[in-house]
Amino acid sequence: MPEPAELPRPPAASRLKTTATLVFVVALLVLSLRQTNFNLEALITGTSDFFRFFGRMAPDWTALPQIWPKLLETIQIAYVATVVGTLIATPLIFLASRNTSTDPITMRVARTLLTVLRSVPDLLWAALFVAVLGLGGLPGVVALTFFSIGVLAKLGSETVESIDPGPLEALRAVGAGRNRTIIFAVVPQVAATMVSYILYVFEINVRASVVIGLVGAGGIGQLLNNYLSWFDYTGAGALIAVIFVIVLAIDGFSVWARSKLI
Amino acid sequence: MLKANETTFEIPRPPPHMRRNRALMLAGVALLVALFVLALVTMQLPTWARFMTGLERNFAPLMRGLVRPNTEVFNLAWTSMVTTFFMAVVGTTLGALLAFPLSFFAAGNLLGGTRWAMPGKALLVAVRTFPELVLAIIFVAAAGPGATAGIMAMGIHSIGYLGKVFSDVVEGIDQGPMEAIRASGGNQLHTFLFAVVPQVLPEFASHVLYRLEINLRAATILGMVGAGGIGLPLIQRLQFRRWDEVSMFLLVIVGFIIVVDAISSRIRSRLV
Amino acid sequence: MFVVTHIRFEDVEVVYKTGLKALKGVSLDIPRGQFVVVVGLSGAGKSTLIRTVNNLVVPTKGNVNVNGVDITPARRGALRSARSDIGMIFQTFNLVKRSSVLRNVLSGRLGDLPAWRGVLSAFPRADVAYAHECLARVGIPEKAFVRADALSGGQQQRVGIARALAQKPSVMLADEPVASLDPPTSHAVMSDLKRIAREDGITTMVNLHFIDMARDYADRIIGMRDGLIVFDGTPDEATDTVFEDIYGRPLEQKDLRGA
Repeated sequence: MPEPAELPRPPAASRLKTTATLVFVVALLVLSLRQTNFNLEALITGTSDFFRFFGRMAPDWTALPQIWPKLLETIQIAYVATVVGTLIATPLIFLASRNTSTDPITMRVARTLLTVLRSVPDLLWAALFVAVLGLGGLPGVVALTFFSIGVLAKLGSETVESIDPGPLEALRAVGAGRNRTIIFAVVPQVAATMVSYILYVFEINVRASVVIGLVGAGGIGQLLNNYLSWFDYTGAGALIAVIFVIVLAIDGFSVWARSKLI
Repeated sequence: MLKANETTFEIPRPPPHMRRNRALMLAGVALLVALFVLALVTMQLPTWARFMTGLERNFAPLMRGLVRPNTEVFNLAWTSMVTTFFMAVVGTTLGALLAFPLSFFAAGNLLGGTRWAMPGKALLVAVRTFPELVLAIIFVAAAGPGATAGIMAMGIHSIGYLGKVFSDVVEGIDQGPMEAIRASGGNQLHTFLFAVVPQVLPEFASHVLYRLEINLRAATILGMVGAGGIGLPLIQRLQFRRWDEVSMFLLVIVGFIIVVDAISSRIRSRLV
Repeated sequence: MFVVTHIRFEDVEVVYKTGLKALKGVSLDIPRGQFVVVVGLSGAGKSTLIRTVNNLVVPTKGNVNVNGVDITPARRGALRSARSDIGMIFQTFNLVKRSSVLRNVLSGRLGDLPAWRGVLSAFPRADVAYAHECLARVGIPEKAFVRADALSGGQQQRVGIARALAQKPSVMLADEPVASLDPPTSHAVMSDLKRIAREDGITTMVNLHFIDMARDYADRIIGMRDGLIVFDGTPDEATDTVFEDIYGRPLEQKDLRGA
């Protein structure tokens, strides 16, 4: 086979980009591994410790009567926070969406507020409100409310911005005001999606309300913290089994309900 | 011509299915409201007086502190946040490396039928169900506090999420190139490397970046249960109500997360 | 002329798992270097027929010989090496859209490569050079480092041809290669295919449903209906009446690609 003296080479720019990306990713990873002292040995001992410990957590089902009321509180916290969060997020959604906002400045402010809300993790909200309001379910509700607003308003405004602009224009042409336009042209288009998002937020609120108790914000997490600090590992085992089942159940319910909606 | 309010046109009754739907919806809303009220009433809320004293005692200092972040702790907050970011990077990488092989065993189209993917899918659901903070608290109890516990918790939890989205990506690939490689005499490994991997890699990368955004948030709070990162110094300051220092920590956390989110979402939009 | 049989179908039957009888006993001899066009309505068994040649579809009865070797019982290594001698072109191109054009063409070399080289993508220099040569032969040498999804449909099908060509095949199979292309591009792609088949002496089987294209490019036309061969002759013999018989209905405008 006749061979050309010089094979064509890929353009320099694309080679450089590939190499640079690779170098950056590897460098970041190496740096991260060194800074966190994480290595293969830590991985292996960590895993074996975990499983050995897990073996000691054979659930003690007699702890269940203690667990139920806390579980109920967890669900209450998640539910109340979802409802309140939804009520507060709804007007924010329309203020933060390009096609329904009153004016550019309000939109900017609303968007910035939502970005900040969204960048604070659920547990950080909880720790913050425990420090302000004391231990118990209330800081949990407030924390998850703030958390829900961030998530819901973000998802909601993305949905509102992606609607068909035709009906909006038609209603403006009829002479309807801003609120009426929203109610008649926007809400019907986004309602199903929004309900599905609210369910999703409820789902993540249940997950979150399981853990916020670890910093004192009520619910089942507080009990887990207690069990572990009393070295009651079998009680903790039962509790983790309950968490497992409840998260699975809520997930399943949420997936099922959302599939019914769309 | 008749005016609108002079028409004699008779209003037809809505069809039964519409009336039924409306009744069902009203019943549903009523149920949700009732549940809400019930939850509020039965929840153990503090008395109004206690609530107000708590608010009075803490709210004013909180606000005073929040508007005046203490610059002295900036260095501490910054270095802790950078370490936290490194933890998130390692945890995400760990999760991605483990999720990569698993995801192909949870994808029905590569295994020749959904049946064979069931065990893989079930495993991923089970892993995903444990909140990472619960994993973290077990790791801390089992292996002692520190970044390793946090990384392991994030890594394991990420397997569940990444394995799921990876296998969704794999199930959505175009089978044509696989047939082409088979037709030209390639073996299964060739088919995988030349027809499957190039199709899924950019989307995998995008999901990994998204997971990094989530893990960075997780990493900032893991320290609150002793699993390394900025959470520990932060919760100490919260417990002692040093609001000006808390304020600086919050600024650093929020700023860092917003910047990482922005960079990451820009890269992701170019990947897919 | 001394005629050597290259592909021989012996009473080939294919029954799919669904119970569908796609081929009901097909026997056919194709001599080396012939350019055969298989026509018929969709569902007539054209795709199944050419897929038995490289064993992507396994006959339930009968066998297919390529170069005097029965490919039907071949498995694993033997099957792969048999397939590496048979190029295939697809209606939907079947390129890896996110990979570069060159990498797509190189994947045609995988069948002849030691396993480790394939796994590491360590293609020998000669293979890379040949891949470039194949791209030059289909007229798009400058597209080597472009991502496949950045090309037009006609260019993507040319990459498909180049990939098949990179196998250095003695047999080329093409399953509706121009069905996704517009008329001028269709003709350009078919001319390329015919030219290359002629130059390299490749035995070619092409599935088409356009009457005019079949007559323009074929050395021989095979007509299929309901899993059986109902016509076998030269383009001159394939009159409109013959096609009406193959299709089992009067001819329509959509049976022509046009120019």
